[in-house]
Amino acid sequence: MSTERIYIYKRFERFWHWSQALLISVMMVTGFEVHGTYTLFGFGHAVQYHTLAAWTLLTLWAFTIVWQFTTDEWRQYLPTLKKVDAMIRYYAIGIFHHAEHPFRKSAEQKHNPLQRLAYLAFLSVMSPIIWGSGLLYLFYADWGAFGLDRHLSLEWVAFGHTVGAFMILSFFFVHVYMTTTGHTWYAHIKSMITGWEEA
Amino acid sequence: MGKLIGGFIAGVAVVAVLVWAMAGSLMFREVPSPFGVEETVARIQQNIQAAGNGWDLVGLRNPGKAIEQDGGNTLPVLMVEACSTRYSGPILKNDAIRFLSILMPCKISVYKKSDGKVYIGLMNARLIGSLFGAEVSALMSQVAADQARFVTFDPTKPAPPMIKGTPGGAATGASGAAAGGC
Amino acid sequence: MSSRLKLALAALAAGTLLASLTAVAMPAAAPTSAVAAASNSTADHSKFKALQQPFKTGPEVTKACLGCHTEAAKQVQHTKHWTWEFTDPKTGKKLGKRNIINNFCTSPISNEKDCMACHAGYGWKDSSFDFSVEANVDCMVCHDTTGTYRKLPGDAGHPVYQRREFPPGSGKFVEAVDLRKVAQSIGKTSRSTCGSCHFFGAGANGTKHGDLDAALQNPDKYLDVHMDRKGLNFTCATCHQTSGHQVAGSRYEMAAAVTGPAHMRGKADAEPASCQSCHGDRPHPAQLAKLNDHARKVACQTCHIPEYARDAIGTELSWDWSQATKMGADGKPVAAKDSAGRRAFDSKKGAWVWDSYVVPEYRWFNGEFAYKTLGDKIDPSATVEINHPGGSPAAADSRIWPLKIHRGKQAYDTENNILIVAHTAGEDDTALWHNYDWQKAIGTGMKAAGLPYSGKYGFVSTEMSWPITHMVAPKGDALACHQCHSENGRLQGVAGVYLPGRDRPRMLDMIGWTIVALSLGGSMMHGILCVLFRRCKRSKQA
Repeated sequence: MSTERIYIYKRFERFWHWSQALLISVMMVTGFEVHGTYTLFGFGHAVQYHTLAAWTLLTLWAFTIVWQFTTDEWRQYLPTLKKVDAMIRYYAIGIFHHAEHPFRKSAEQKHNPLQRLAYLAFLSVMSPIIWGSGLLYLFYADWGAFGLDRHLSLEWVAFGHTVGAFMILSFFFVHVYMTTTGHTWYAHIKSMITGWEEA
Repeated sequence: MGKLIGGFIAGVAVVAVLVWAMAGSLMFREVPSPFGVEETVARIQQNIQAAGNGWDLVGLRNPGKAIEQDGGNTLPVLMVEACSTRYSGPILKNDAIRFLSILMPCKISVYKKSDGKVYIGLMNARLIGSLFGAEVSALMSQVAADQARFVTFDPTKPAPPMIKGTPGGAATGASGAAAGGC
Repeated sequence: MSSRLKLALAALAAGTLLASLTAVAMPAAAPTSAVAAASNSTADHSKFKALQQPFKTGPEVTKACLGCHTEAAKQVQHTKHWTWEFTDPKTGKKLGKRNIINNFCTSPISNEKDCMACHAGYGWKDSSFDFSVEANVDCMVCHDTTGTYRKLPGDAGHPVYQRREFPPGSGKFVEAVDLRKVAQSIGKTSRSTCGSCHFFGAGANGTKHGDLDAALQNPDKYLDVHMDRKGLNFTCATCHQTSGHQVAGSRYEMAAAVTGPAHMRGKADAEPASCQSCHGDRPHPAQLAKLNDHARKVACQTCHIPEYARDAIGTELSWDWSQATKMGADGKPVAAKDSAGRRAFDSKKGAWVWDSYVVPEYRWFNGEFAYKTLGDKIDPSATVEINHPGGSPAAADSRIWPLKIHRGKQAYDTENNILIVAHTAGEDDTALWHNYDWQKAIGTGMKAAGLPYSGKYGFVSTEMSWPITHMVAPKGDALACHQCHSENGRLQGVAGVYLPGRDRPRMLDMIGWTIVALSLGGSMMHGILCVLFRRCKRSKQA
């Protein structure tokens, strides 16, 4: 095992990632309670925590978006189809017999092509669905003032929000699993904590 | 070996958690009543008076009153209190288990919930009794059998009047000499 | 004398003096709020010459009142308290006790002598009553402060002139009213005066409304946060602001969805007897803004009156007239009480169900009831709604309201399909409660009401809705979110609104959870394969 280490995840990035992970977890747990799937905190508290977490995450995102653009890190999310087939072949077959991972992480290219696609999907599909429906849900009482009440029903907004929630929950499980597929089960998680990737 | 011990400990832990989670529902029971609060109470009272085995009513408690006097609301709760010297006597005579007087008198709680329905809350006398040795266990299993009859209703009988307060004058003071049962 | 003793004696003397002074200053430290309110008046009616005479009848007192209050009777004669009639301005339909058939004693027609014990007048014993006679207006029933003014069934609205046993055969006696004393003690209305009729509607304490009973004469805070005798101590008129004897806030002309801010209530106020007139339509503090948003769909009462009849008195939930005239085993009339000591059966009147601490039923309601009135056709194959609550989820004037829905069975004409007016009260041969003969009672009742009767009657299921608006609980006892936002919650049956926690599209849930399970299961399968092959995760991933 080589001891060569590279610094990949910067301090703000790690802070952002883990705060976001926590907030999204809170929102999933409270969100499905509001949805009526189970009772945990009680409906009133669930709504309260869900709303609070939403505003916190929005604030975090505001900072993060500025950070992404001032540091040019936004380019990490540009999609590429190069090597995607190799990636898929690796996770489907190669991983089971010591095949070399077809992608090498670097500070310039943190995400493998599959990750890029997944994160882009998160940003361009799940995120608009969940935030769009979520904000409409949150400001339900003000629909009338904007003339929205003629075009929208809470039922459909809630429907959209739930669709988004299911997508994110699925994403969450796969994402967490994938982090355990490094050269040890905790390697990726460790680098997201320390910032250093062992190469 | 390590795995074996680990597995054993894990098994114990799982059982402990399960017991912890279920203990409450094992010790107490809740059954819906087909009648209103007062009629349920009255029918239980009637059953107790007809039960024999030394059973007698010793009180009807309304813990909601105090809450209302404090300016708060609670849905109706009435506690039917009953006692039988046949069962209380042996326990009260034995120093080793006299502390079980804390369980006296026997209580059956009748209450309404937010769904508008009426429920009966019971203690699982058999299980609790079994925790305190053979003598208590035998007594309490008889109590449990009697208690089951208290909450078995005959809807063809007309609704009896509810007996308010504490019969036998126990309400007037601590003497309680005339109170039946305990 | 020791200095300590001197000090004690001095203190005692001072204390006694102070106490006696207080006693002189407040000679009428009255126990009841009603009298205390009266003592604020600028007029002491006991000093009026006109009232210092030995009155023999109610109308004599009224004439004395009208000597000064020249317009009072005319004002009263324009109110529902006098006419027992209300014309719906939208439909033109005539409503009011004179025209509807309620779900309790049904109709006062042909039973006036009994029913008019609650008429604010004297002598309405049949249809010949002259509504223009000013002396027949009863001032005292609303303005008595002594609590001794009693009107009993059988007297057509006159007070008790002679001591008599009531109910007959009960061994209890009602004293004759000292009319002079009542007249001299006249004052503002109180919970007791309004309650003397409104708490006892349909013949017994708490029967009719569910949110009005005699416990409100001196309520504790838990029962009504506004009328709390030790707190705000509101009278009825505090909310039911009255002008020229017109009492605001009638059930016949309700506003179910008042909007706008809190305000000082002047004479022109459209709905002074609404929560919003004092609290506004966004009454919760900013951190509870979500609750304010609820006000567009939910009436204040829905959360703030979690249960009604929250006392031992309780209220009647059903009245089955079809059981009336059923006799005991010996063929004689019988009566029975339920376990709580409330009326459960009477051969005269049928069977009843009562309860306390009742969870309301919830409906969309815009304040307008569509009533079945005398002679309206009914459909006997379905439950007859005596008054159908109007309103719909989409309408801006509708809110989810708590209702008491009183159910029952009433007699109807099986040929003409109309509800029946029966002659129940009275001592004559056709009175149901005297002779236990439906045919005779119906014959007399329908004739008095001017309705056709085919000669055939049956019984039909009926229900009548009563909006719940009194017995407002302290704020800490309002419904919690989950009591509606859950499956099988309070609003389970209320359609037309998406209620998070209660509603969710089942199909979406099924598909969603399948996808989630596939993601989780797929990941786990992949992981298990890894472990089985004991190979993966060893590659040096860059």
